[in-house]
Amino acid sequence: MFSNNNNDPLVKNTSHKVVLPFYLYASISFLFSTILLFFSTEAFTQHYFHPQTLAITHSMALGWGTMIILGASHQLVPVLIEGRLYSIKLGYASFFLAGIGIPLLVYGFYFFAMGWQAQWGGIFINAAIIAYLLNLTISMVKSKKENVHAVFVFTAVLWLLLTTLVGLLLAFNFTAAILPKGSLHYLSLHAHMGIVGWFLLLVIGVGSRLIPMFLISKYSNTKLLWVIYGLINGGLIAFLISFLYFSNTSFYFLSVLAILLAIALFGYYCYQSFKQRIRKQVDEQMKISLLSIGMMLLPVVLLILIIGLLLAGSANTKLVLAYGFIVFFGWLTAIIFGMTFKTLPFIIWNKVYHLQAGLGKTPNPKDLFSSPVFYAMGIAYLCGFGLFITGIFTANIVVLKMATLLLILAALLYNWNVIKLFMHKSARL
Amino acid sequence: MNVITNNNLKCTIALAALENVTDPEIGLNVVDLGLIYQIDFDDAHSKIFIAMTLTTQFCPMGESITGAVKRVLENTFTDAQVLLELTFDPPWSHELISEEGQKYLNQ
Repeated sequence: MFSNNNNDPLVKNTSHKVVLPFYLYASISFLFSTILLFFSTEAFTQHYFHPQTLAITHSMALGWGTMIILGASHQLVPVLIEGRLYSIKLGYASFFLAGIGIPLLVYGFYFFAMGWQAQWGGIFINAAIIAYLLNLTISMVKSKKENVHAVFVFTAVLWLLLTTLVGLLLAFNFTAAILPKGSLHYLSLHAHMGIVGWFLLLVIGVGSRLIPMFLISKYSNTKLLWVIYGLINGGLIAFLISFLYFSNTSFYFLSVLAILLAIALFGYYCYQSFKQRIRKQVDEQMKISLLSIGMMLLPVVLLILIIGLLLAGSANTKLVLAYGFIVFFGWLTAIIFGMTFKTLPFIIWNKVYHLQAGLGKTPNPKDLFSSPVFYAMGIAYLCGFGLFITGIFTANIVVLKMATLLLILAALLYNWNVIKLFMHKSARL
Repeated sequence: MNVITNNNLKCTIALAALENVTDPEIGLNVVDLGLIYQIDFDDAHSKIFIAMTLTTQFCPMGESITGAVKRVLENTFTDAQVLLELTFDPPWSHELISEEGQKYLNQ
């Protein structure tokens, strides 16, 4: 029955060496994005198809959101697929390719240098996603276990690749007319494949595994997760078909309703997990993560308004800007804030203390970062976020500048805690 | 919490020592968490066989927890070689948490 299995693959984790660079890169990208926002506030009083707005959006979506998700998923994929990550080298390849591509693309947008800078940026980013998809696919095939969470993640990465491939086409379309219409026409297609197909599907796929796990919940409902999966993918595919083949905007409502229902059902799933939890105490990081689930509804409400106005024949630029801001600086940032300080302290703890565990008292992972700084970050962020939305609707530059200063402060505090974690040295109690 | 053993006395000593190994995420020790399934002692060959589980397969903290369990047993029974088997059959469930563990989590 027993064997001496020190090297049992069941207990081997993904090396922190491949995970941590993603976290660091994302933290710096977030700070960079808020600084960029400060110098580009005027752009948020103009049309959303503005070079600086596009630069900030891509810096947030790729440098912040995607990089941190890729980093965390290298660590969490084994938990989700119940198997080992296939290759660390492919993990490094994803990091370096994306790490080079993202600044090139952001530079290209900011200075509207849509030639080789944006194009090569796009090529590097696509190569990074292909490396990650390859790593994930082989890991899943080798694990030979099927579960709904793994299917969510796999499908999300397919949507991400489709998003970045369309993005690459759009980048080339700026300098050579390779698509029937201008790049602005395809913007909502590109954006929603990324927001819904990549971010929403991934957050639900990973969240549905981690939230009950962290709460030690008795609740489990695989059937409901499959329904959510069908609604999101069905809604998105319906949107693509109506976008490409029908010019009637009213069809979009069907997609939005499907996605709204999926979010509501996921909210119900989280509520049941929370209600049936064994661990009564819920830490601040989990509270922020659960709050961000509620924040998912905000952009959908705005989207309904945007489509309603489009049907009425009046496009509202401010609503579109607010929608994009809420997605990237609201929902996505809130969930990253919560999950960073839920996952990163454990990665660092494992790195520093895994050989000392059991030999004496060691600090708890949650003690490796500063809670007061975390609170201060949360307050600065919420104030900055609320003020910026006000600034968009009032087109008031002073309000926008004040809001970005608060967001920069939140980003600095976030980075402070991340650096504190990175610098942590063994401290036996 | 029922740990299978062939030596009740030594098993009690081992479990008392293992109460010092905690799951860093949950903050509860591995004994009250119900992670320890079996501890057998082979005195003739100075070996300890331990079968345990984790709350989730491929748990990122798994390597630390199993490493700590081995080290604690090696420190407690200094002459013995510790052989650890990680099993997910049966998988861990919340029903394995001891009464003390339930109380701690209900706080």
